Order: sequence, then C-alpha cells, then structure tokens
Amino acid sequence: MLVYALVAGLLFGLYFSLVGIGLNLVFGVMRIVNLAHGDFLMLGAFIAVGVSALAALDPLFAVPLAFVVFVLVGLVLYRLLVPRLQGSVNPEMLSIILFFGLSQVIEALTTIAFGTSERSIPSSELGAILAPLRVRLFGDADGPVELFGQTFPATWAISAMVSVIAIGLVYVYLYRTRLGTLTRAVMSRRDEAFATGINVDRVSAAAFGIGLGLAAVAGVFAPFMFGSVTPAFGEDATVTSFAVVVLGSLGNPLGTALGGVVYGISYMLVQTYLSSWADLLPYVLLILILLLRPSGLLGRRVRVA
Amino acid sequence: MPPEAKALLRTSGINAGYGTMQVLWGVDLDVRAGETVLLLGANGAGKTTFLKTLVGLIEARNGSIVLADEDVTRTRSSDRMRRGMTYMSELAVFPDLSIEENILIGAQALGHARPQSRLEELYGLFPVLRDKRRDAASSLSGGQRKMLGIAKALAADPKLLVMDEPSAGLSPLFVKEVLRILGSLRERGLALLIAEQNIGFLEVATRVFVLEGGRIRFSGTVAEMADNEALRRAYFGLK
Repeated sequence: MLVYALVAGLLFGLYFSLVGIGLNLVFGVMRIVNLAHGDFLMLGAFIAVGVSALAALDPLFAVPLAFVVFVLVGLVLYRLLVPRLQGSVNPEMLSIILFFGLSQVIEALTTIAFGTSERSIPSSELGAILAPLRVRLFGDADGPVELFGQTFPATWAISAMVSVIAIGLVYVYLYRTRLGTLTRAVMSRRDEAFATGINVDRVSAAAFGIGLGLAAVAGVFAPFMFGSVTPAFGEDATVTSFAVVVLGSLGNPLGTALGGVVYGISYMLVQTYLSSWADLLPYVLLILILLLRPSGLLGRRVRVA
Repeated sequence: MPPEAKALLRTSGINAGYGTMQVLWGVDLDVRAGETVLLLGANGAGKTTFLKTLVGLIEARNGSIVLADEDVTRTRSSDRMRRGMTYMSELAVFPDLSIEENILIGAQALGHARPQSRLEELYGLFPVLRDKRRDAASSLSGGQRKMLGIAKALAADPKLLVMDEPSAGLSPLFVKEVLRILGSLRERGLALLIAEQNIGFLEVATRVFVLEGGRIRFSGTVAEMADNEALRRAYFGLK
C-alpha cells in the first residue's frame, strides 16, 4: 500500500507541478498574483471535454489547442489589464482583487454557458493515438499500466508524462532561448532589467501568455485526474496551485516541480491513510510551509506579494 | 578640450521627480565625445534620479536630453541605449544569471546581431570573469560584481557609459582597481559620466559637475573646482 501511495503520489506530483508552474512563472516575472489561475485550468478542462464530445478526438489533441488558445487569451488580457495594474501604487495588492474578480466572472460565465453539472471523459479516450506505443510498452492498448509491481490507470501515467514534457519545455524556454534568458533576468531583478534596456513589457506579456497556456494544458488532464470537473473546479485548482508553488518556492518556476512532487506524495499518502482529511491538505501544507520555511523548499528569497 | 567642442550628450533644464516630489531643478549638463565627466554630490543630492532620467527610467517633466544630435527626451530607454548610451546602475548585475549571461544580456536585449563577438575582448579586460564564466553572478564579491556590471554595460558597445556610484560598497583596494579600469576605458576613447560621492574619482575626470539639492552648483574642470573655496572646504576638507 505504501509503494502504491508513493508511486501514485509521484505521478500526481508531476501533474501538480504542471498545475502550478504557470502561476509561478507569472508571479516570478510580473510580481502579480493570478487568483484566476485555476479558472483557466478549468477552461482547459472544458476544451478537452469539447474535443472529446464534439469532435470525437483523443483529448490529447486538446493539449496544443488549449495551449495556443490560452497563450493568445493571455496576450490579449495582458494588454487589457496589466499596464494599468503596473501603473498603480500597489500592483501586488490590486492584482489580488482584480484577478479574484476575473475568477468570479469566468466561473459565472462558464456556469451560464455549460451549467453546473459534472463533466467527465471516458478514461479510454485519453491517449488512444498512443495505442501502438502502449502495446509495445505494456502489452495492451487500453488497460492499466504496471509500475514497480503496482497497477495504475493509464491516464495518470499519460498525464504525468505530458507534465514532464511540458516542464522540460519550460526549462528549454527559460535556459536555452533568448527570450527565456531575458525572462530570467526580469525574474532576477526587475529594476535592473529596465536599466539594462530589456523590453520588460514584452517579456511579461510572453510570460503571462505562456502561464495561462500551461494552466489550460494542465486543465486538459483534470477530468482524468479528478474524475470530473465543474465550473467551480477553478477555485480548488487555484488553492492547490498556491500550495504547490509556495511549497516549491515562490518566484522560481522550476522549484514548482519539487513542490508538485512533495504535494503529490503527501496527497496520495493522506488519501490512502486518512482519506477524510484529504481536502484539508493544501491548506495544512500552506500553513506549515509558511510557518517553517517561508522561502519554500528550494530556499529562494521570499518575494513581496 | 575646447568648451565649444561638440557634445555627445547635452541636457537642458531637466526637472524630474517622483509623484508630487520634485527632485531635479533645471539640470544642465553636457558630456563630449571621449571625455570623463564626474557628477559629484552627497547622498540625496539627486544623482541617481538624474541618471535614471537621462537613460529614460524616469520621465523628465521639463527640459530636453539630446544624445548624438537627436532629441531623446521622450524616447524609451532601449532606444537611448541603441543610440550608444548604456547605464550601469548601483545594483549592476542579475544575481541569478551566470556571469556570461550577464555580460551578453544587455547586447541581446538591444538586438545586437552577434553579442558573443565582444566576449573575448571583455574577458581580456576582466580576466577574473573568464575563469568564472559559468558561475552565478551571486557568487562574486562586491568588487567583482562591479567589474561584471562594467563588462555588461560595455558589451553593447556604447559611445557613452553612464555609471551610478561604481565605488559604492567597495574596499579602497577595489576602488583603486575600478579607477584603473576606468582609466583604460578613457584611453580607448569611451565617454564616461560617473555619479559619485567619492572624490577619488576626480583622478580620472576631465570635468566636474557638483549637484546639491537637485541643482547644479558648479561645473568646470578639476583645477577650477580646487580653486573654488567653498567646494574645496566641502569636498576636500581643506581651508
């Protein structure tokens, strides 16, 4: 049972890393708190439901679609909201209020459009295009997968695999591209970035777009990781994202990977041994980390937020 | 150098400040090609505010800034940097980036086609940076960070390097080293505008502007400054 909880925790943890990484990228670059992060995740889930129900395609096709759509949404939202925020006396505080409002609007509009009923996607649909690979690796195309002598739903393994790829791509973006280097410079010292002639506005817009795109990609897998989604799912996803991000280290996107794994393993251990306490986990972890190690597990300095 | 020599940079009647607080009051200053100008002033005199206004980080409320014959008063800081004026702030570097990334980033930000082309020349000027090129800038000492800051500002191949207190937080030994480097930059024909409160920098200066309470109180050569009794008392501690 312990091995099962640990391996399932690792799979969930990799997924939770993807859930939180966009929030941390946006905070690291812009020092604004996107309280609507979970709502973009929820919208990504609805894109997956749409791709599956309306187009009858493998929900994996929703991954590039959700990413591109929400990068564009992020760029538009950035132009509409962020320059006004940055021009205010206290952008961090104002961003909390503004994005809380945006979160409520997104939830309300999604409820009006799709109702409050729970939406799910049959597990067998995820990864149908990977069937030949699954046959080669696991011997069949739609059964559970076996890892360390334990069996897990294939959807968990696929979600974890896509999460690792997405986090790897974020690493490549940050450490192997010119825009990524400029992004890390802005994260390191925003004032110095202006003084160096970096177009901070362009870097921030890109980070905001990518942050929302990553949230939407994480959302594609939410119906498989949590069984179903409703428009209210965004609120829980935001709290989970915060727990993951603060655990890893606020302002350090790749620290989110560690935060996600720690969160995932804790989540599965609590689900296994104290399941009635599972809903409390994000709040308990948030309080514990803020009391014991406010800079997060990776120990980066605490950012004012 | 004759006073009528053409200015690379000229500011006229610059007023600037933060919110309702005005810090600079009609600041006139000029830097000619290849010369080293020292902007001397105590803490709170407005030196940093002036430099930030100059490079476009703070908008001038009045007055004009002309750089290489073009009025840049309302342009973005990146445009001013592309026209040949780079800025070394007091912070100077990005601590989380590697030393080589720090050197290259200014040139990359300004869209230089081959930012790596100047690396060898800069490592020749600052050999200690070559040895640690892959390390994070946060691993450097205060003096080494200043050197990295200078290398970072030079990588964009400026005509004028604007520096905010290069001696801040440095031991006398490192100040001496910074002065040596500035001397060698001057010999290469680079124009320098250095905001300082350390009069040791008079050693490398061609001309001096003294800023007090946001106003230019004196401008002239080092010899002229030494002849001014009030300044001699205030800055040299002499009677």
